[in-house]
Amino acid sequence: MIDDPLRRPMRAALILLLMVCVASLVIGAGDVGVWRSVGALSGAEDVDAAFTVWHLRLPRTLVGIVVGAALAVSGALLQVISRNPLAEPGLLGVSAGSALAVAVMLSLGASMMELRVGVAQLGALLGCACVLSVTRLRGVGNDPVRLVLAGVAFSSLLAALTSLLLLMDQRAADEIRFWVVGSLSGRRLDDLLAVLPSMALAGLVLLVLVRPLSSLALGERASAGLGHHPGRLRLLSVAIVALLVGGATAIAGPIAFIGLVVPFLARSLCGPDLRRTLWLCLPLGPLLVLLADILSRRLVAPSELPLGVLTAICGAPVLIAVVRARRLPTLS
Amino acid sequence: MDQRPTLSAGRPQGYWWWRRGRFSLLIDQRNVAALLTLSVVLLVASMAYLSLGNITVTPAALWQLIRGEGEAMPRFVVEQLRLPRLVAALATGAAFAVAGCLMQTLARNRLATPGIIGIDNGATAFAVASVVGVGLSLAPSAMALAGAATAAVITFGLSVGGGARGYRFIVAGIGVGAVFAALTQLMLARSAIDLANAAWPWTVGSLNSRPPHATLVLLIGLLLGMPVAVWLARSLGLMRFSDAVATSLGVPIQRRRVQVLVTSVVLTGLAVAVAGPIGMVSLIGPEIARSLGSPRQVPILASALAGALVMVLADLCGRLMLAPLELPVGIVTAVVGGPWLLWILLRSSPSR
Repeated sequence: MIDDPLRRPMRAALILLLMVCVASLVIGAGDVGVWRSVGALSGAEDVDAAFTVWHLRLPRTLVGIVVGAALAVSGALLQVISRNPLAEPGLLGVSAGSALAVAVMLSLGASMMELRVGVAQLGALLGCACVLSVTRLRGVGNDPVRLVLAGVAFSSLLAALTSLLLLMDQRAADEIRFWVVGSLSGRRLDDLLAVLPSMALAGLVLLVLVRPLSSLALGERASAGLGHHPGRLRLLSVAIVALLVGGATAIAGPIAFIGLVVPFLARSLCGPDLRRTLWLCLPLGPLLVLLADILSRRLVAPSELPLGVLTAICGAPVLIAVVRARRLPTLS
Repeated sequence: MDQRPTLSAGRPQGYWWWRRGRFSLLIDQRNVAALLTLSVVLLVASMAYLSLGNITVTPAALWQLIRGEGEAMPRFVVEQLRLPRLVAALATGAAFAVAGCLMQTLARNRLATPGIIGIDNGATAFAVASVVGVGLSLAPSAMALAGAATAAVITFGLSVGGGARGYRFIVAGIGVGAVFAALTQLMLARSAIDLANAAWPWTVGSLNSRPPHATLVLLIGLLLGMPVAVWLARSLGLMRFSDAVATSLGVPIQRRRVQVLVTSVVLTGLAVAVAGPIGMVSLIGPEIARSLGSPRQVPILASALAGALVMVLADLCGRLMLAPLELPVGIVTAVVGGPWLLWILLRSSPSR
């Protein structure tokens, strides 16, 4: 599965990811510094440091890995099925739909994590459906930049509705205010366990779909001519994206730009082939999310910065670079 | 005055025409009708704004107040609470809409409003910085102006060169806006809780906590900016066609571009200093003005009236809908303006 052009970037990404994982375990915002953390990792008697590393930073790192991989893969998938290099769950309003669904659920009084995951995935599904029906409209689907504008309009509408709910319900507001900006802080292993089954399911389906999907990138006619069913493929991919984005949003809140930046990076490292892009997204997504998360802990220590803020600061320049390119990068 | 060839033909269709010697006046009848309609509706809306709320002041009581009579309680409510807020709503609405109209015409794209290309967010970031970030107590108006100018320079700087026309330029603006919004969040996350609360209206757009003096600065800005905008509209009307046409008709394009941009940025910055980023008004206001007015002119005055109307109605809705809770006007306009924006985008030919 790992072919030659992929091998070198993949190896480099995995090594970097390993380093970043360790960094994410030993670097923090609070009192437990690097040396105490390293001590705890190597088994020294330091109850505070051990607790911080194993019970606070380890779950957080794992959540970061899952969220990063899910967002990056779903970005790459959305870009293929909408044939649009700017498609991204955060920009197109998929994450905003899922956030609104969770906000509605919280303001109705429920706060179970499992329920939240399901609701978030339902919201993401609705968001996806809206986006894809828009791409079917004349003119918009062929113009990547107009699709992004429509997505921004859609997500600002959903965000306004979310803040409306927050204003009306103080209790939900307290619960949701820190979640809605996108953050990994305070996540527990239980939260991760709640989303893992659905995400694993999505990953399995995706494994089966990868080959037909890369034919979809050639266009609907070519895909049908090769014996695939473009409509069915699209529907299944939407379901996968909804499961992945909904799950990621349920644990980390809406995080924009990861789904844009990572596939963009992956394509520039290993070419436009969909299979290679998807494989490379798996280490690169977590790499980026964990880097941003570490920065979010250090930049304003001892307090923390929402992760969504950092991804916006890193991601927006990439967006600008992509649209500034004279010819938009094509997806083959 | 330059010498113009005299027209020998009679009165053009749909115009009132007045001339005496070398001066002539050409008035578009449809524009007059639009301005009159908007003014009447705006007047009614303003009266409703003054009379409705937690304490209802009947029209009769309002009339008494205007003549200088009436009781102390309604007088206090109307004069001290609602009137300043009404003035702020009118002024910000007009400023946002005129800035939007100018920039839309300049970019030849009705989606290129200051709110969408990130100028609002730049102004907001700087205004929030003046409250929480650096501990300076600079006037928010000055800071918001500086922020608007910075964002405009970045967006337009990025759009020079590369294939930056039409929608690409707008998406670049969205990127710039996202960075400034993130910086605003960053500052709010860093600051102490009561400072963050003080700066919060700037992130959603609200007329609830207008900084003192900012409205006054905005009114002065409007007083200076409106005539400039009206004057610029004449050149803009020609620049809508193409650079070649405008040049051949004697419009100094580069200079006009800078003037339009500066006017638009100043109006946006001052308005953000009062009410925060309410970008949707700069989209909706000119849109209404354009659909009412004559297609032959750039509707500066009608945009101002329509923007003020949108703002007054949105804030009135925000105050009444969930009373006693008060919705920030920015949320109301976003809920109304989001679908509107989508509708514009999804119609077949959105560029103008």
